[in-house]
Amino acid sequence: MKCPFFILSIAMIMMPMLATGQPATDDLVSTCVIAAGENTTYLKDFRVQLPKAAPNAAVPVYKANMYLMKNMKYRFAVCDAPESTGELVITLYDQGKELISSYNKSTGKKYSSIDFICNKTGLYTLWYDFIDGEQGSGVGVVCMIK
Amino acid sequence: MTGTITKIAAVILLLSAGSCRNSSMRHGGPGFPLADSVPAGEAVKLSEEAVADIVQNIASPVEIASILQAMQVPFSAGYLAPTQEADRLTTNFQKAVMLGIYGADLGYLNMYEKTGNSVEVLATIKRLADGLRVGQYFDFETLKRLSLSKSNLDSLLYLSVNSYNQIDRFLRDNDRGSISALMIAGVWIEGQYLATQVALSHTDEILRDRVGEQKIILGDLLMLLRPYRQSSEEYKSLYEMMEGISTEYTDVKVSYRLGEPETIEDKGRLVMVQHEESIVEMSDEQLAKIAEMSKEVRNKLISGQ
Repeated sequence: MKCPFFILSIAMIMMPMLATGQPATDDLVSTCVIAAGENTTYLKDFRVQLPKAAPNAAVPVYKANMYLMKNMKYRFAVCDAPESTGELVITLYDQGKELISSYNKSTGKKYSSIDFICNKTGLYTLWYDFIDGEQGSGVGVVCMIK
Repeated sequence: MTGTITKIAAVILLLSAGSCRNSSMRHGGPGFPLADSVPAGEAVKLSEEAVADIVQNIASPVEIASILQAMQVPFSAGYLAPTQEADRLTTNFQKAVMLGIYGADLGYLNMYEKTGNSVEVLATIKRLADGLRVGQYFDFETLKRLSLSKSNLDSLLYLSVNSYNQIDRFLRDNDRGSISALMIAGVWIEGQYLATQVALSHTDEILRDRVGEQKIILGDLLMLLRPYRQSSEEYKSLYEMMEGISTEYTDVKVSYRLGEPETIEDKGRLVMVQHEESIVEMSDEQLAKIAEMSKEVRNKLISGQ
């Protein structure tokens, strides 16, 4: 990390060599890991694809359960697929109680990521949905903040 | 700045590979497995099926290694499982457990930037993954190059963790949940071994809490393994050994102190500070017994017994 341009050069040189035989990797996840910012370490990703909400029906949600640990700082980043109509939102729940969301419904403000400074080890639920129940696809990435 | 550039380099590497591999991206977007999407509905409840999904997230050696780094505990190769044992493994059970164990070791090595030392572990992981027919998700050559260059740690960490996540996802999506469960158990037991061994020799409240909190997680891990425990003698033995660790946790108490969370906006980012707290009560004697039992189970597994 002391010589970033050297690293970048190596990466460019390696590109053709890596173009074959690479296992499946989600490009959007990689992009989202970068979007999570510096000083983070990737832990998990969730791929979300949801249909448009039916009239008078609940907004479709993708739910994932995850253990979060005391004394750890987590960042939850969301990224929309290029063709996605909807904008992906994450809401963090603890035993059914909403803790934090990347979208404030009352102000309409949306964040590309949220940070959670965890003080209680336990099982948390991540809810991913699209604003206004639009059809959409995207990824949610969970990182540990160093 | 350097962090951003290394991450950009990582993405260039990944995108270059992806451009040849994932034609769906060029024709309208990435392929999202529909099985990942579930409709909204009932409130969160923990059925056994849900626990299977939970447990995919329980074992993160990277998080344990980060605690050890924060404690300034020096790296010790003595905590690593010997790789020469891997050549003696014959059953899928053994391969899957050891894939998890070496995965935890890889996380430990990478977090401590001992990347030059990790090539042997990487080669072993590749052999085991191939043996389980999941080698396609483990890009040994790229990981080896990144390890040997000792420079692009972000990329290395991302690729190695992502490889395990993909293997896990593939196994569960292809009705090989029993293999996935074994891999997860392997990651957990090695992380537990590392955490308990260090906790015995270094006084640190955070690490001690982390060991104590495994009481909660171990319960779910047992639930994950339970459906398969009659499938073979090996599985039965593993389940009983894990139950043995669980028994040592019986008198460890985990309680909670209530507190209202605080939300702030910091540099345009929304941050929640949780004030509700989990509190672990665990005596030195309990810690010693848990550590001893964890070590015994881990050593049995790596010796193939």
